[in-house]
Amino acid sequence: MALVEKLYDAIVDGEAATAREAVNEELAKGVDPIALITGSMIPAMDDVGQLYQDEQYFVPELMLSGRAMKAAMEPLRPLLAVSGVKPAGTVIAGAVKGDLHDIGKNLVISMLEGAGFKVIDLGTDVKPEKFVAAIREHNPQIVCMTALLTVTMMSMKTTIAAIEAAGLRDLVKILVGGAPLNDRFAREIGADGFGETATDAVTLARQMVVASAHAN
Amino acid sequence: MTPAKSIGPKRQRVLDSINHRTPDHVPVDFGGCNVTGMHASCVAALRDHYGLAKRLVKIIEPYQMLGLIEDDLKEAIGVDVARLSGRTTMFGFDNQGWKPFSFNGLTVLVPEAFRTVTEPEEGGTLIYPRGDTSAKPSGHMPKGGFFFDAIIRQEEDQRENYDVDDNTAQYTLLSDAQLDEIEQDARAVNTGEYAVFATLGNTALGDISGVPGIDLTHPKGVRDIAEWYMLTASRPDVVHQFYERVVETGIANLEKINARVGEAIDILFLCGTDFGTQTSTFCSTKTFDSLWKPHYTELCNWVHKNTGWKIFKHSCGASERFFESMIEAGVDIINPVQCSARGMDARFLKDKYKGRLVFWGGGVDTQHVLPFGTPEEVRAQVLERCEIFSDGGGFVFDAIHNVQAGTPLENIVAMIDAVKEFNGMRH
Repeated sequence: MALVEKLYDAIVDGEAATAREAVNEELAKGVDPIALITGSMIPAMDDVGQLYQDEQYFVPELMLSGRAMKAAMEPLRPLLAVSGVKPAGTVIAGAVKGDLHDIGKNLVISMLEGAGFKVIDLGTDVKPEKFVAAIREHNPQIVCMTALLTVTMMSMKTTIAAIEAAGLRDLVKILVGGAPLNDRFAREIGADGFGETATDAVTLARQMVVASAHAN
Repeated sequence: MTPAKSIGPKRQRVLDSINHRTPDHVPVDFGGCNVTGMHASCVAALRDHYGLAKRLVKIIEPYQMLGLIEDDLKEAIGVDVARLSGRTTMFGFDNQGWKPFSFNGLTVLVPEAFRTVTEPEEGGTLIYPRGDTSAKPSGHMPKGGFFFDAIIRQEEDQRENYDVDDNTAQYTLLSDAQLDEIEQDARAVNTGEYAVFATLGNTALGDISGVPGIDLTHPKGVRDIAEWYMLTASRPDVVHQFYERVVETGIANLEKINARVGEAIDILFLCGTDFGTQTSTFCSTKTFDSLWKPHYTELCNWVHKNTGWKIFKHSCGASERFFESMIEAGVDIINPVQCSARGMDARFLKDKYKGRLVFWGGGVDTQHVLPFGTPEEVRAQVLERCEIFSDGGGFVFDAIHNVQAGTPLENIVAMIDAVKEFNGMRH
């Protein structure tokens, strides 16, 4: 799977129009969509994540690259749908009940999509029953929840309780994040992992999918 | 306007501390500005706790639903700072003509133009900019929520509209009528009893709470927060143009304010832009130095050349890496001193910046200890922070950012008592 430099660079540099153009050019040449994703796009987002961890990139650059990745995916989505290719994993993500803050959630989603995950975005102020319904509908391996506020953090606990009460807890791994959270809080509310940053979330999600595949 | 005010002990201790002299007591601020306040529910609980006259709490800032801390409560808490801000709220209507408003079991007083509608299905509360019910609502409080968040009203055809007038529409020159109001309000606080903390002039450079234009009926230009962040990385040339306009308007306003009420002011709120996240920053120091620092420098230079005001800069999160640049730009005071963020250890900060930067905040952690700790844990942290930060002055006690709804009353009281205990121990 050769790396398409124009596509890779456009995603790393956060240039959405160029990324989309590069994909269209490659598709016109008959290049396999999967080869573009695995050979250029996922490596680009992996490197973006590394640049962020190394503090060469910051939130604005992550957002630009996420947008470029999304633009590159647009012409590919219909082709993937008919090819029956499986994503790296399925994730549902939302800001919990009472919380309207979505910048962190959207960053996590774009990084997860950049890593080849299928993400169902439930939005903000997501009630526990909506998480439960989404688990039933989409059968994800991972549920991501975020809260920015001390007053909404506890909605995570009630959401996990609702997932348990619905008998779905063993079917999913639960990953939480948000500024006021820490590992201890994540453990206390019964989550499976705490992602301090968007790149942590991707690392954890990858580990969780591997672990769940082994468990099955 | 008025003759130079006298200096009472409260004002004196603030002036001592912000000039890096050891004051008689650690000075305290609650309510001096929109990031050092308390949620109305906390203000109401404290009024009950101290047995103060029973009356509804006025909302001084409707976006975060901050409660007015009146003089009787200031006295009970031991506050040394008075607030001087324009009468126009963040939603663009004036703080006048009070009426009751109930939310989450609490009834407060809100301005007459605080006009809302309840969402038909979700039950949340939507608020209108400037009280104009013909406009799209600009704020949303979810059902059971405690304050508003901005509604992003980004028009798709405006995403790449970089027109300076459109993008800086909320940065306007103060009218004579507004200046008259400021003068009237300044006269009321210019007694010499309290240090006067002014939030006037509108000098914010890219403060994310201002980007959506929640005070505008029809915001144009870049109003999506994510779009704004990306613009700072992809089009710094455009952002510079916006900031040049903000600085131009800001200095014009500060000139008028100084001419009218300059002697009333001790501290000026410069800008609320957050540069830190929980673990890192929103940009590199290189970007800060090229995109923000020149504009901050211009504003600070004007203030220091023409007034005796100290300049207060708010920046949440792990902002320490920018402190040297902020000092070079002319910033005197940093807030909220989020010690819970990476690289923001209290001892480290004091050792590194003692005598060069005033820490206004850092008194107790509002993400963990204050809302979720025990009163004894609150007391221990407050005593420790006072001990560290008060060395040689350069410290005004305040919680890290506004005290949030849901914070146990006993913890808020433990915080207040611990500051009093610390101040008592020093004599």
